Amino acid sequence: MGSPHHSLISLRPLSEEELLEWEEAYAAVEAYLQALRLRNRLLVAELVRGILTRASARRATEPDQPARHLAMEEALSEIAEWTQDVLAVPLENRRLAARGRLALLLAGMPDKWQGVFLTPAPWPPAFVEAMRSSYLAAGPRFAALTMVPRPLEFNAIGTGAAQWWETMDRKPIMRLMFAGLLTFLSALAVWFIFLD
Amino acid sequence: MHPNDPSTFASDHRYFSRWRTVLRRIVFFGSVLAVNTLATLWLADLFWSMGFQKAHFPLLAVFIVLNGLLVLGSFHAIFGALDMVLAGRKRTVRITRLAEGLSGPLKHRHAVVMPVYNEDSIKVCARIEAIYRSIQATGQLDSFDFFILSDTRDLDLWVREEVAWTNLCRRLGGFGRIYYRRRKTNENRKAGNIGDFVRTWGGGYEAMLVLDADSLMDGADIVTMVRVMESYPRLGILQTPPKLIRGASVFTRLQQFAMRLYGPLFIRGLNHWQLGGGSYWGHNALIRLQPFSEFCELPALPGSEPFGGRILSHDFVEAALMVAEGWEVWLAWDIEGTYEEAPPTLVDHLIRDRRWMQGNLQHLWLIFARKLPFPTRMHLFMGIMAYLGSPLWFLFLLLGTWIAWDRFSSNLSMLPFENFAHRWFGINGLQQSLILALFVFLLLFLPKILAVTRAIAIPSIRRSFGGTMPLVAGSLFETIVSMLLAPCIMAAHTVMVLGIVVGRSVGWGNQNRETDGTSWPDALRFHAFPMLLGIAWTILAVKISPGFAAWMSPILAGLVLSPLVSVWTSRTRYGRGLAKHGILNIPEEISPPEILRTADLANAAVDPALDATHPARTGVVAAVVDPYVNGVHVSLLEPSEWSPAEESLAERLLALGPDGISKSEMSELLYLAPAMLMVHRAVWLRPADGIHPAWTQAVESYRRRLDQ
Repeated sequence: MGSPHHSLISLRPLSEEELLEWEEAYAAVEAYLQALRLRNRLLVAELVRGILTRASARRATEPDQPARHLAMEEALSEIAEWTQDVLAVPLENRRLAARGRLALLLAGMPDKWQGVFLTPAPWPPAFVEAMRSSYLAAGPRFAALTMVPRPLEFNAIGTGAAQWWETMDRKPIMRLMFAGLLTFLSALAVWFIFLD
Repeated sequence: MHPNDPSTFASDHRYFSRWRTVLRRIVFFGSVLAVNTLATLWLADLFWSMGFQKAHFPLLAVFIVLNGLLVLGSFHAIFGALDMVLAGRKRTVRITRLAEGLSGPLKHRHAVVMPVYNEDSIKVCARIEAIYRSIQATGQLDSFDFFILSDTRDLDLWVREEVAWTNLCRRLGGFGRIYYRRRKTNENRKAGNIGDFVRTWGGGYEAMLVLDADSLMDGADIVTMVRVMESYPRLGILQTPPKLIRGASVFTRLQQFAMRLYGPLFIRGLNHWQLGGGSYWGHNALIRLQPFSEFCELPALPGSEPFGGRILSHDFVEAALMVAEGWEVWLAWDIEGTYEEAPPTLVDHLIRDRRWMQGNLQHLWLIFARKLPFPTRMHLFMGIMAYLGSPLWFLFLLLGTWIAWDRFSSNLSMLPFENFAHRWFGINGLQQSLILALFVFLLLFLPKILAVTRAIAIPSIRRSFGGTMPLVAGSLFETIVSMLLAPCIMAAHTVMVLGIVVGRSVGWGNQNRETDGTSWPDALRFHAFPMLLGIAWTILAVKISPGFAAWMSPILAGLVLSPLVSVWTSRTRYGRGLAKHGILNIPEEISPPEILRTADLANAAVDPALDATHPARTGVVAAVVDPYVNGVHVSLLEPSEWSPAEESLAERLLALGPDGISKSEMSELLYLAPAMLMVHRAVWLRPADGIHPAWTQAVESYRRRLDQ
């Protein structure tokens, strides 16, 4: 977290365009902290200020990078590194950034530990314990059973019908002939019963 | 040995002896056969006296089947009533007796599984929460794990499910006890979903309680069922009779009232003969996993859909396969805390019926399968006839109309001869026709009369429905509206059967559980055939004779008025109006049981800290933008690498927004953890002009919250 006495003095004097650019950076960082459900405005303002201070320092060496990009990179890397320290696991890839955010949520940071967020060690043991025990598991340990379908055993009528049905399925001409025969027989029955 | 003593049950001992089972079935089906035969012979005798026409032969053939079904239905209620009166609760056959007097920890671990498909995840989780808390209250929670088994295809709903489940676990402390799994492909639909669970985790549990997405069950009853399962080694499936609840429209309220009032008689009658050869209705049932995995993987049927291929209605077949292998399937008819919901309108009901009908008609193949015992074949037959009965009824009415028309146009006298019944009983043909008609009406209405009489006679039941007047008024109202609905359903089923016969297959739609009602254009379009048929038939009937038209009027009115009845019964405001006057109220509304109250209050799945329903960032957008939703989603994915092509797809998603790429492309990205992490960083890092406005607006939505 940036020291409160740091200022954006390194940026001055700022043109109107630069002011707009840093305003966008401020808005993005503030929105991100808000997205992490930090509700305390003073805390958010302090964190944004610290992040922007470090971003402004980077601007001196990376003048081509947009202010928003620098500020958000600072924000994300600070959060990732801080959660890595709390979790005491190496952040080997970006996936662990998600693990860190998940731990913040599951540990109840937005509700119970806002004041601890991004502060240096030592942290309250209850918070550390809550962070380290946070994980998601979509299922328990595999305990497989096998399920293999057994073919249906038909009686004589069923076997004959199955063979006939599959033949009709394979040969559309047979299906057509069968449908024609059925239609003819139905028409014959109707004629015999009603019209004869 | 007394069946109350489960410790004495050896694995080869039956709860109910084989010969008594056979005796009960002979008496039940013998009675049905005898009554149906007598009625058919009498009708044939009557036709003979009128002078047999060719059309009388098919009419008589159809009558045998239809009347047989009617007698079968009525006799379930009659035997149910007899069972209640003669056996009472103490002496009746009741499988849950095995759990009486048992206490202490359960012996095995069990799973509660809820398959879901494009459902409202908040409501699904509320039901899980209620069941979880209810089991927790029994002190047996440690013996259960819960699984939400998602086959959801809608990507926004997928993300919402993940979020709702995470919130549920956070609030209940359910991590490691409540699990969520989504299948990448929903092969073989619900049966495949359950099968996937069994193959992956089934070995860790003795039994699984299968729920539907709208199921609700009381924890104490679940524990009772589990105790029965643990006590009786021959038991494969224990089915409960779910009650319909939460009906708002007139249509649903009619269904839930009818099922609540008349259902117990039918259920007792069913239990009277099926005993250990029962059926499985797909949910609200406990299934022993070992035999299920061994015998219940569904085989493919000969040929392709709609009659062949994959079995759609898996439940009946699974019970059949279990029973065929010597396992018992029982109906726990006295389990009270078991609930489900119903489709809200006639149109939704018929859409669901279309799916069930194809599944049940596929069961025709199983009638010819070897090894299936008699009760299993009866269940399959009754399931098939539940739908084939409609075209047969339609044919019966057509033939009857033809004969009436023929008589009218040929000016034949109605009863020229003296028949056997006339000679033996001294009653003329007209009287015989009336007696036969009265007999059919009696069969139709006897179950209702018996159920209402029972409800009025037993004070606790009478009070639970709000008293005698609401009971009688509700029953009369239900009878009248059911009479109007029946012809419309008959016509719709007939069209559906014909559609299936000519080879039209059905997809797998999600079930509509709530609605504001059917619109008039939809009703007119959906019910055009029955309405036009009814108008034409009415003109013909009036032309034949006013007497014939009057005789046919209940059917014709139902057909002609089908759009009106469909729209009217779909309205929730009329349902509320009836409820206000105490009509069609059910005991669960008058005095809601604990589990329903718990479910009403359940809101663990809703938490603003983790939310994918905000209008500016719903579902997939939340999974990309929101740090927590993204964190949850990525944490549930398998580790993976991504290719340059996928990187370019992610860039397209950023540039074109969530609607700029196809559903399959979006699904592909949602399964790629590196892609989801990259797009999350990108929407926050990149300036507004470098990404699609959908992402910028979603990011901005957090600031607006701050400004409020």
